[in-house]
Amino acid sequence: MRDLFDKCASWKEVQVVKLAGRYPYYRVIDETDGTEVVVDGKRLIMACSNNYLGLANDPRVREAAAEAARTWGASTCGSRLLNGTLRLHDELDRRLARFLGKEAAVVFPTGFQANVGAIDSLVLRHDLVIADRMVHASLVEGMNASLGRTRRFGHNDVEDLERILAAAEPEAGKLVVVDGVYSMEGDLANLPAIVALKNRYGARLMVDEAHGFGVLGAGGRGAAEHFGVAGEVDLVMATFSKSLGSIGGVIAGRADVVNWIKHKARPLVFSASMTPPMAAAALKALEIIEQEPERRERLWDISERVHRELRAMGFDTEPSVTPIVPIVLGDQVLAFDYWRRLTEAGIFASPVVKPAAEKELVRVVFMATHTDAQIDRALEIFERCGRELGVIPYRRPASRVEVRLARPGVSGFWSSRPEGAAAAGLAGGGSLELGELLGRRDEPLARRLADAAEVVTWRAVNAGPEELRELRELPVRLWRQRRRIAARLLSAGMERVARARAGEERRGEERRGDDRRGEEARP
Amino acid sequence: MIREASGAELAPGREVPAGGEVRVAQVATVRERDRFIRFQEEVYRGDPWFVPPLLMERHEFLDPARNPFFRHADVALFLATRREEVVGRIAAVEDRNFNAFHGGRTGYFGLYESVDDPAVAEALFGAARAWARRRGLASLIGPMNLSTNYEAGLLVEGFESSPAILMPYNPPWYARLFEGCGLAKAKDLLAFSRSSHDPVPERFVRVAEKIRNHQGIRVRSLDLRRFGEEVERIKAVYNSAWEKNWGFVPMTDAEFDKLARDLKPLVRPELCLVAEDQGEPVAFSLTVPDVNQALKRVGGRLTTWGIPVGLARLLYWQRRIDEVRLIALGVKEGYRRRGLDAVLILDTIRRTRDLGYRGGEVSWTLEDNDLVNRAIEAVGCRRTKRYRVYETALD
Repeated sequence: MRDLFDKCASWKEVQVVKLAGRYPYYRVIDETDGTEVVVDGKRLIMACSNNYLGLANDPRVREAAAEAARTWGASTCGSRLLNGTLRLHDELDRRLARFLGKEAAVVFPTGFQANVGAIDSLVLRHDLVIADRMVHASLVEGMNASLGRTRRFGHNDVEDLERILAAAEPEAGKLVVVDGVYSMEGDLANLPAIVALKNRYGARLMVDEAHGFGVLGAGGRGAAEHFGVAGEVDLVMATFSKSLGSIGGVIAGRADVVNWIKHKARPLVFSASMTPPMAAAALKALEIIEQEPERRERLWDISERVHRELRAMGFDTEPSVTPIVPIVLGDQVLAFDYWRRLTEAGIFASPVVKPAAEKELVRVVFMATHTDAQIDRALEIFERCGRELGVIPYRRPASRVEVRLARPGVSGFWSSRPEGAAAAGLAGGGSLELGELLGRRDEPLARRLADAAEVVTWRAVNAGPEELRELRELPVRLWRQRRRIAARLLSAGMERVARARAGEERRGEERRGDDRRGEEARP
Repeated sequence: MIREASGAELAPGREVPAGGEVRVAQVATVRERDRFIRFQEEVYRGDPWFVPPLLMERHEFLDPARNPFFRHADVALFLATRREEVVGRIAAVEDRNFNAFHGGRTGYFGLYESVDDPAVAEALFGAARAWARRRGLASLIGPMNLSTNYEAGLLVEGFESSPAILMPYNPPWYARLFEGCGLAKAKDLLAFSRSSHDPVPERFVRVAEKIRNHQGIRVRSLDLRRFGEEVERIKAVYNSAWEKNWGFVPMTDAEFDKLARDLKPLVRPELCLVAEDQGEPVAFSLTVPDVNQALKRVGGRLTTWGIPVGLARLLYWQRRIDEVRLIALGVKEGYRRRGLDAVLILDTIRRTRDLGYRGGEVSWTLEDNDLVNRAIEAVGCRRTKRYRVYETALD
């Protein structure tokens, strides 16, 4: 008879790695201020935290957590369904729903539970759930737990997704699941194409915005906002343990759907609710995210610099377009070696090996709160260790490919790999469209009009039977959509007004701040 | 954007003053693709032989959503800039069909343009090489714009005339830049031309007529009313005819259909010949009026300040084209070495003359395809241009 525990006793791999002094996991941190940590009495720059905006260590967030512990106690000791819903939780639900632009939202104790609970409760027998091959483990766990049929499509392979959708039984309810930002390699989901597909095949779309929340999009609402398709995402999931500097998860969507999840998701119903300090911290952090867009700016500035400099040294950071910087090494031993050298030189980073990433890499993330001096030091260490190990050439290469990150206002691509950029055309962003041409505000109007005339003439000359048919049907289509067009124009106008107002307020505050500084300077 | 003022600085043949780092960035937006395309205007300003392609045609060609080539190939476009001015461009291509067909790990480079500055060339090839190396490719060949099914080769001889339709053209100094970057010759492609005034050698006519009568081959014009079916027939012959050729990659159905659609308005059915053996198409030749003659008068744009001046010019000059290019002549496997090509060439020459064309170009052929080259020279064609395909191994 075999003992269940035999496999544990005979498991050698980890022991070998430990003996070789290259075991990078479960390291004990003795001290931390967020940007730096002390491990084994040694001070290291933290370069792999998901605390993107540094809010976990923000005094206001800490204070909110402490205050909640004093007011509400350390734990609720109960499920949200029964005695575990405090006013804090209710407020967090409502605030997040509003922030994400959805009818309703429900907060889970962890992001992992949110993903498992949402999928497990929604996807029943005869339903089909289709996920990207690289989605987070919690989504996979949700798929495994659900009774429905599950399929995976190649990473960002929209053709593959389409094949699966086309082959699905028409009767089955379909849920497409993707990560907004892929956490290890930092590329985005090709949301415009995926949204188009889910609409064509009548599927629902769930996006895990764990790493995009607070980082991507003009308002920090995630990858969907970045691509301008937030309204098309049926279910948004986000975690609080990244930008929000807390722990927990949220599912936002249509009110009736959220209501269903609130009653059917076992990880929610059979688990104690989020602790009061964590809920209060998340609330505070959300407030800060809304009020301080400059934190996001700073994060993007730092990330751009790190990507650029690493590439200039000869490192490969594809396919990331986000603050997640994968130093791609493509070899497990090399990844562990490089990690060890970094640790010795003063950097806390994490090696990522298959199957978590396509190629072995060391994952580097800096936070908005890192100082320029810290970044300087870290970059110097990356280069020195890279050279010592022969990961990069001794002399910097003469030319490099500039990286372009998915900063607010720069859209149309989801990966710094060429297919991400080039294939953007398939999602509609790559063709020379009239709207695009006329929208180039920094070019003279005359030139824009001349270019538009060129496009129209070319189209007219090359119009095939399909285009002509489309042209004939255009008035009918416009008439059919008249209500939606009016609504869209109205909402676009309102958004513009709101943005202008927000900008004005911020400028006003800056002015006041300047005045104050002026006063301080005076003796 | 490329400013007018920079024109003088970027004029062909002139060295841009050194200094300032050359930065190479990958094209990611439509806007940068626009810069990529328009950079050509700068390089060829004042060049009497350059034929500016239609701006919109280039956009469509490089639009992954519109060009079926992108379905089996990954393309990265790179722009080199110095102090915000564009100074060069290059494309790196991984054509999965090519590698599947030839079983190697070869990439292309192409769409190369730059100022006469080795540092720029070095930076551009550096970017293309790095890109290809990252994808595990073992070598690069080119220039391919973007494969042998479109335009291929670098003009190295025959700079004193304009290129024919779908043939490349470039400044003479590119060869020096390429060689300076460690590129070596892989293969030369040849172009021939012929005037309608020259008589066809008597012996050639006799042999060709004999073959026609002896083998019962019927040569007919393309039937434009049944264009779709005709395209299918030619496709079958094309993909079987080129199979063994160096650098050949079969065209996908979508690519072939697009090319056929693009060429359809130009085609004169009398010049597109199909040879049939008992009703079955066994060879074809495709000759089209050299629309570059008209394009040259257009200047790349159909409109000027919104008025379709270019379009009017194109339509006007399109009717005054007086030269043709024999683009393709293919014989199906099993019918080769039986002289069918001679019959098609003879008929093409006769018809070209009868339609009133002054002459035309036959291009391109591989330099070591002796059988074909000898046949072409036998009908009185002169070799006029030489294009070179380069290769470089990636370490």
